[in-house]
Amino acid sequence: MTDRQAEEQQLAAVWESPKGWRYWSDVNNTVVGLWYTATAFAFMLFGGVLALIIRTQLAVPENTLVEAETYNQVFTLHGTVMMFLFAVPIFEAVAILILPGMLGARDLPFPRLSAFGYWCFLIGGVFVCGSIFFNSAPDAGWFMYPPLSTEQSGIGADIWLLGLSFIEVASIAAAVELIVGVLKCRAPGMHINLTPLYGWYVLVVGGMILFAFPPLIAGDLLFELERLLDWPFFDVTRGGDPILWQHLFWIFGHPEVYIIFLPAIALLAMIVPTFAQRPIAGYSWIVLSALGTGFLSFGLWVHHMFTTGLPSISLGFFSAASEAVAIPTGIQIFAFISTVMLGSVVRSVPMLFCLGALAIFVLGGLTGVMVAVAPFDFQVHDSYFIVAHLHYTLIGGMLFPVMAGIVYYYPMVRGKTLSRKLGIWSFWLMFAGFNISFLPMHLTGMLGMPRRVFTYGAERGWSELNLLSTVGAFVFAAGFLILVWDCVRPRRQEPDAPRNVWKAGTLEWAARFGDNYGLRSIPHIDSRYPLWDDKDFTRKLDAGEGLLASAEEGKRETLVTSVLDAKPIQILRVAKPGWLPMIAAIGLGAVFIFMTFKWWIPTALGFALFLWATLRWLWTGTAEIPEKESKDAGGGLMLPLYVSGVRSSGWWAMFITMTGDFTAFLALLFGYFFFWTIHPDFPPPGVTGPGWVWPVMAGMAVMLSWGLTFASRLVNAAGHPGQARFLLVAGGIAALVACLAVLAGPWTSGLDPTTHSYPAIVWTLAIWVVAHLATGVLMQGYCFARSLHGKMTPRYDADIWNVTLYWHFAAIMGVVTCLVIGFFPMLT
Amino acid sequence: MRGHMRRGATTIAKVSALLVSAATLAACNTEQSMLHPAGEDAAAVNSLFWAMAIGAAIIWIIVMGTTVYAVLGKKRPKSEKFADRFILLGGVAFPTVTLAALLVFGLALLPDWVRADAPDLRVHVTAEQYWWRIAYEQPDGSMVDTANELFLPQGQTAEFVLNSTDVIHSFWIPTLGGKIDVIPGRTNLWRLKPTEAGVYRGVCAEFCGPSHALMAFPVIVEAQADFDARLAREAAPAAASNDLFLATGCGACHAIRGTEAAGRVGPDLTHFASRRTMAAGTLPISAENLAAWLLDPDHIKPDVRMPGYDSLGQSERDALVSYLLELR
Amino acid sequence: MTEDNAVKEVERETGSGTDLWSVIIAPFIWAAHFLVCYVGAAIYCQKLGRDADLGDIRLLVLGATAVALVGIGASTFRLWRVRGRSLTDNDFEYEHDTPEERHRFLSHVALMLCVLSAVAVIYVTIPMLYLSSCR
Repeated sequence: MTDRQAEEQQLAAVWESPKGWRYWSDVNNTVVGLWYTATAFAFMLFGGVLALIIRTQLAVPENTLVEAETYNQVFTLHGTVMMFLFAVPIFEAVAILILPGMLGARDLPFPRLSAFGYWCFLIGGVFVCGSIFFNSAPDAGWFMYPPLSTEQSGIGADIWLLGLSFIEVASIAAAVELIVGVLKCRAPGMHINLTPLYGWYVLVVGGMILFAFPPLIAGDLLFELERLLDWPFFDVTRGGDPILWQHLFWIFGHPEVYIIFLPAIALLAMIVPTFAQRPIAGYSWIVLSALGTGFLSFGLWVHHMFTTGLPSISLGFFSAASEAVAIPTGIQIFAFISTVMLGSVVRSVPMLFCLGALAIFVLGGLTGVMVAVAPFDFQVHDSYFIVAHLHYTLIGGMLFPVMAGIVYYYPMVRGKTLSRKLGIWSFWLMFAGFNISFLPMHLTGMLGMPRRVFTYGAERGWSELNLLSTVGAFVFAAGFLILVWDCVRPRRQEPDAPRNVWKAGTLEWAARFGDNYGLRSIPHIDSRYPLWDDKDFTRKLDAGEGLLASAEEGKRETLVTSVLDAKPIQILRVAKPGWLPMIAAIGLGAVFIFMTFKWWIPTALGFALFLWATLRWLWTGTAEIPEKESKDAGGGLMLPLYVSGVRSSGWWAMFITMTGDFTAFLALLFGYFFFWTIHPDFPPPGVTGPGWVWPVMAGMAVMLSWGLTFASRLVNAAGHPGQARFLLVAGGIAALVACLAVLAGPWTSGLDPTTHSYPAIVWTLAIWVVAHLATGVLMQGYCFARSLHGKMTPRYDADIWNVTLYWHFAAIMGVVTCLVIGFFPMLT
Repeated sequence: MRGHMRRGATTIAKVSALLVSAATLAACNTEQSMLHPAGEDAAAVNSLFWAMAIGAAIIWIIVMGTTVYAVLGKKRPKSEKFADRFILLGGVAFPTVTLAALLVFGLALLPDWVRADAPDLRVHVTAEQYWWRIAYEQPDGSMVDTANELFLPQGQTAEFVLNSTDVIHSFWIPTLGGKIDVIPGRTNLWRLKPTEAGVYRGVCAEFCGPSHALMAFPVIVEAQADFDARLAREAAPAAASNDLFLATGCGACHAIRGTEAAGRVGPDLTHFASRRTMAAGTLPISAENLAAWLLDPDHIKPDVRMPGYDSLGQSERDALVSYLLELR
Repeated sequence: MTEDNAVKEVERETGSGTDLWSVIIAPFIWAAHFLVCYVGAAIYCQKLGRDADLGDIRLLVLGATAVALVGIGASTFRLWRVRGRSLTDNDFEYEHDTPEERHRFLSHVALMLCVLSAVAVIYVTIPMLYLSSCR
C-alpha cells in the first residue's frame, strides 16, 4: 500500500459515519445537512397539504368542507410551517450541507452545534405540526396578533410561541456556525474577493439573523409572560398595547423575508455561471447588493403596519425605505441577466428553474414596489392582492431557486443525477400551476376579497377566480410531487453521476462523491473558479498535494484561516460523533414543551438534563489541550493546534452569539421606552419605580464581578492560576450579590407585575439581567473547575477568554438596566 | 400637483377599467371592488394602481424579454465593461429615478390634515366580535345609535372615530377608500369622501376570530337631503314595544329605543327591519333567516356572542320574529 | 512624502485598509439617519398629539439628512481616491489573488454602498416635501 492510499484510509476512517443506530449520533456537516434538508422538505409537504385544504375550502362559495375554527388552524399552521419550518431552516440546511465544500473546509467549525440545531428543529417542528391532530393548533394567523392570540386563543398560542422560540434557537445556532465558517474556514488563498458568492450571502444572512430573530424572541418572552403569568404587556386595560407586539414581530418579520430570499438567490449565483459557462458578471455588484439589502431590510418593518393608524410621516419614512430596497434587489437580477448575456447557455433543468424563478420573482418584486406606496397599501393590505404578492416573492424568490439548487446539487450529495425528463415536467407543471393559482388572486383582491376568510358569498362574484386558483394549486402540487418522487425513488440500478457533472468551476465540485471528509487535500486557491482556471486542479488535489492530506493522529481536523486574506493560522480539531447534542436538544425541547402544558416538574428536569448535557459537551471536546503545540499541515507549514482569544473561532462564536443576545436585550429596552411614549405618565400615577439605591448597588456589584473576571484572565495569563481561581470565586460572589440587588429594587418597592405594563417591563428587565448574571456565575465556576483540573492553564486559556467576553456583554446589559430602571423615572 | 396627477392618471384608469370589465364579465358584483371607485380616495388609488400596474407590466416584459433573448439569442462578444454599464443603467439608474418619481407621486396621497380642517360629518364606529356599532354625531353633540349599516351623504367628508372593545379589526369600504385598523385601546381617525351615490359593502379586513369572514356592513351613499331624512328616521324611537322581547331577556343585550330594552352588549335594534342585512352583512332579513338565527346563531356565525334560544317554544320564537320585522 | 509616510501608505493599501467593518460605514449612517428620523417623529407625534404641526421635526430630519450626507460624502471621497488607482486597467472583476486587489475590491463595494446609502437617505427625506401634520 502506498503512503497516499494509507492517508486516504486514515481520512476515511476518521470521518466515517457511525454504523447502525449510532448513525444518528453523527455530527458531520454532510450527514446533518442531509437530515436537515430532508426534514425541511417533509415539513414543506405538510404545509403544502394544508395549503390544498385551504384552496379546496375556497374552491366554491359557502363551502362546508372544514369549519371556521379548523380553517383558522389550517391557515395559521400553513403560514407558520412554511415560514418557520421550511423557508428559514432550508437555508440553514443547504448551507450546512454545501458551504464547507465550497470553502474547501472539511467541516464547519462547530459540528455539534449544527447537530444540536437540527435536533431542536426536528423536535420543535414535530411538536408544532402535531398540534393540529389534537385540534389544538395555533389559530390566530402566523403573526399572532394580540389580543386575539393572548386573550382568546387556547393552548395553540403557547405551542406556537414555545415551539417556535425553540426553533429560533436553532436558527441562531446555525447563524453562529455559518458566520464563523465563512470568515474563518476558507481554503488558504481564498481572499474575501475570491470567496464564492454563496459565502457572501451566507455571511450577510447570518448577520441579519443575529439582528432579526432576537426581537422576536424578546416578543415571545413578553407574550408568554402575559399568557403564563398574566403580565399585561398587550392588555390595554392595564397599560399594555397590542402594537408593541406588531413592532417586535415585524422587526423580525420583514428582515426574515430577505433572510429567506437572499440564500435562495445565492444558489442562483452559483448555478447561473455554471450554465452560462463563464464567471459571474458584476461580482462586486452582487456583494454590494447583498450587503445593501441586508441593511435596508431592517427599515421596512412598518410597511406591514401601514393601516394601524401611525402618523403619515412614519408611513412616509417606511414607504421610502421599502422602495429603496428594490434597488439592490434589481442589481442582483441585472447581474444574473448580464452573466447570461455574456456567456453561452447550456439548457438544463436547474437553469429552467432559475428562469422560472426570475419570471415569478420579478413580478412579485414589482407588486412589492406597488404595495410599498402606503396609500395603495391602505387598499390592498390584508386582501388577496397581498396573498398573491407574497406568494410571488416567496415562491419566485425562494422555492424555485431552491428547486434549482436541489436539482443542481443532487448529484454532488447523492451521487446520482435526477431525471431530465421528469425535471422538465415538474418545472412546467409547477410554473403553470403556480401562475394559474396566484395570478388571478391579484384580481380577486382588487375585487375586494379579504385575506383569511373561511367562506364567501356566491353573490360576491369571486367564485370563478377562486375555482381557477384552486385548480392551479393542485397542478402546482402535482409538479412538486414529481420532483419529490424523483428525489426519493430507488435508483440503485442507475449509473453514478460523473464527478463535477455540470462542469462547474467552484470548489465544492472538486470533491469525490462519498468522501465524508470533503476534499482529499485542502488546496491553495487563487481564483474564483479554480476548476476552470487550473486544468490540473483536481489531479493535484487527489494527489494530496494540498494541506491536511492525512489524519495520522486520528482526529477530525480542518483549517482556520484569516478573515480577509485567508492566511492559514490554525489547525482546528472538531468533534467526532456523539449523543450530547441530541440529548441537549431533548432537554431543551422538554423545557419548552412541558412549559406549554404548565408541567413544572418535568420542565425543571428537562432543564437539568439540558444543563448537564451542555456542560458535559463543553467539558469534553472544546478547548482541549493538544498533545503537541503545532503540527505540519503539509509542505512544512507548521500551524498551531490551539489558539485562544480574538484569533480563535470559539471567541468569535461567543461574540456573535452575544451580539444576538444583546439585540434581544435592546428589544426589551425598546419595550420599556415604547411604554413610556404611549403613556402620558410613566411610571403611572401612584406607582413609584424601584428607586435608585438598589439599582446603583446592583450596577456596582455587576461592575465588580466583571472586573474580577477580567482580572482573573490577566492574572491567569501572567502565570498565576491559583490567584486567578481566587478572583473567579470572588467574581461569582459579587455576581450573586448583584442578582439579589437587581431583584431587591422592584421587590422592596412593591411593584406588582400583574397590575400594569410598567412594573411588568421593569421586572422583565430585572429577570433578564439576573438570568445573565446566573449564567455568568456558571461560567466562572466552569473556568474555576477547568483550571483546577488542569484543562485550563496560563498557556491554554481559551475558556477564560470566552467567559470574559461574555462578561463584557453581561456587564453592559446589567449596568444599562440599572441605569434605566433606576434613573429614567426621575427624568419623566 | 395632486389634482393634476389624478386627472392624468384618471384617463388611463378609465380605459383600463373598461378593459377589465370586458375581461371579467363574471365579476359583475362591484359592491366591494376597488376597481370601481365611488369615493375620492378610492378613485385616486385606482388611478395610481393602473399607472403602476401598466408600468410594472412594461418593466416585466422588458426584463423577461431581455433574459429570454440573452438565453436564446445569437451571441455577440460583449465585454465586462458592457456588463458593468448594463447593471449600472438597468439596476441602479433606472430604478433610482423611477422609484423616486413613484414616491413623489404616491406619497402625495397620504392623509395630512389637522383638527382645524373639520369634517362635514363625524361617525363613531366601534368594532366588536363580529359586528359594527355605529353612532352618528349630531351637530349638538348627541348621538344616533345604530348598527351594521352605514349611510353617508354624497360629496361630504365623513370622519370615522374608530374603537374596538375586544380584538383588532379593520374598517374597510373598498369602493370609498383604504382601510384602517381598529385597535383596542387606541382611537383611530379616518376620513372618506364618497362621490357617487349607490349601495356598497364594507368588511372587516383584519383577522379577528372564527367569524371574521362574516363581519360586513352595507354602505349606502345618497344625496344630502335623503341622508338627513334617513338620519331623522333613525333618531326616532321604535315603532312598538314588546313584552315577550323584554320577558325573554333580549333587552339585557339589545337596545330598542323608546322601550325598556336598553342593553348595550349587542347591536341596537331600534330600526332593525329597515336594514338591508342581519347578522352584520351575513344574511338578508327575512322571517326564515331570523327564525334560524334565534334557534342557533352559532351555526350561522361561528363563535358569535349571542346564545341560541332553543329553550323558547316555536310560537314564542315566531312572535319575536314578527316583532323584529315590525321594527322599521 | 517622507519615507515613513510612504510605508504607511503602502500599509494602508495592503494591510488593514478597508476592512469588513469600514465597508458598512455608509449603510450604518443610513440606519442611524433612519432611526433618528423615525424615532424622533414617532415620539414627537405621540407626545404632542396627532393634530400637531410637524415644524420642529422637519428641522430635525433635514439636519439629520445633512449630517448623514456629509458623513457618506466624506467616506465617498476617501474611497474615490482608491478607485482612481484601481480602475487603471479597466478591471471590473477584482479577481486577482493579492491583498491589494482585496483592498480595492472592498473599497469598490464600499464606494457603491455609499451611493446606495445616499439614495436611501434622500428617499427617506422625500415625505417631508408634503406632510405638514402628525396625522
